Amino acid sequence: MSEGNLPGLAPPRPISLKDRSSLVFVERAQLDVADGAFVAVNADGTRTQIPVGGLAGIMLEPGARISHAAVALAARVGTLITWIGEGGVRLYSAGQPGGARSDRLLWQASIALDDAARLRVVRKMFALRFGEEAPSRRSIDQLRGIEGVRVRESYTLLARQYGVDWRRRSYDPKDWEAGDVPNRCLSAATACLHGLTEAAVLAAGYAPAIGFLHTGKPLSFVYDIADLYKLETVVPEAFRIAGQAGKGRLDMAPDRAVRLACRDAFRRTGLLKRIIPAIEEVLSAGNLPRPEPPPEAVSPAFPDAPPTGDAGHR
Amino acid sequence: MLVVVVSNAPPRLRGRLSAWLVEVRAGVYVGDYSARTREMIWEQVLAGLDKGDAVMVWKAPTDQGYDFVTAGQNRRMPVDFDGLKLVSFFPEPPSR
Repeated sequence: MSEGNLPGLAPPRPISLKDRSSLVFVERAQLDVADGAFVAVNADGTRTQIPVGGLAGIMLEPGARISHAAVALAARVGTLITWIGEGGVRLYSAGQPGGARSDRLLWQASIALDDAARLRVVRKMFALRFGEEAPSRRSIDQLRGIEGVRVRESYTLLARQYGVDWRRRSYDPKDWEAGDVPNRCLSAATACLHGLTEAAVLAAGYAPAIGFLHTGKPLSFVYDIADLYKLETVVPEAFRIAGQAGKGRLDMAPDRAVRLACRDAFRRTGLLKRIIPAIEEVLSAGNLPRPEPPPEAVSPAFPDAPPTGDAGHR
Repeated sequence: MLVVVVSNAPPRLRGRLSAWLVEVRAGVYVGDYSARTREMIWEQVLAGLDKGDAVMVWKAPTDQGYDFVTAGQNRRMPVDFDGLKLVSFFPEPPSR
């Protein structure tokens, strides 16, 4: 049982991301494995089974405890476990930690290293994000500037639409309570999207750190991909909830309301079905061939069983 | 898609459910109906349940893709788990 196995049953394998629900946040629970099932156990002995393999990720908030067997089961079914701090700030993750597909990592890296290919990828991301071609003969820096202006305009527009008092995007990752309500809603919303996107980037077999617009962070590529969907999915929900909070029409903490709204938005927009194809589309715009293994390379002595889920699932 | 499971239900309710649904196993009824018919069937369950308990599950546009309601007491009760609808299994009450 410590391996999440049941005698007489083959160990569970991952299913593809598009068949899953998005995320669940776990607060104050003991996560363990009982009879091969992933369960949250309460102090009074109440057990709640969590369908771990049917989720893209599990976000553990401060106060959650998880056993070795539970992490092993999550890893087997290819579900990303993320430990988060206050406000959904990511601390650490496990489950499918990436690096499973060297062919994909090398392809991603070769595009990032080629200035022309990288610009083509950035232009593709611009086109996907705003539904129109990026203006021609612009550098990545200039495109970033145009995007920034557009994003600020969208924020102002949404704030007006939902009656939110909006000045600017500002937050202090070290002091969660310091931000105003709209900024905290936006932070909670982007944390949701980033968690889901990280699961998708890893499931697709790419490196979260090798970004194209973003660089220098462990999740640069996650931010690149999340930005494709940010204005469409989570930002309107964040402003809508912030508007309700401002009018005192909210019966729960704003960040929790934002999370629930984000999950509905993911479902409504079919994000889990679209996100891995979008990652492939963006990288294909680099127009570089996928690398072949060098002829003298040694093939594995024991080939693995073909993946049951997405390419990046082990 | 619509599934109703009843336990400890009086025979007249089980017979009534069989008017619209197929009983594929003891107390497990399956069918495919509109939202309006689903509500009518659930009203029948509530009216005829007596001391039994029941659950109805159907396909719905939620993150999980389905939704469910329960009636009566069972050791398995629905809980809202961060917006995800899961089921808690309560420990046996201490015997006296």
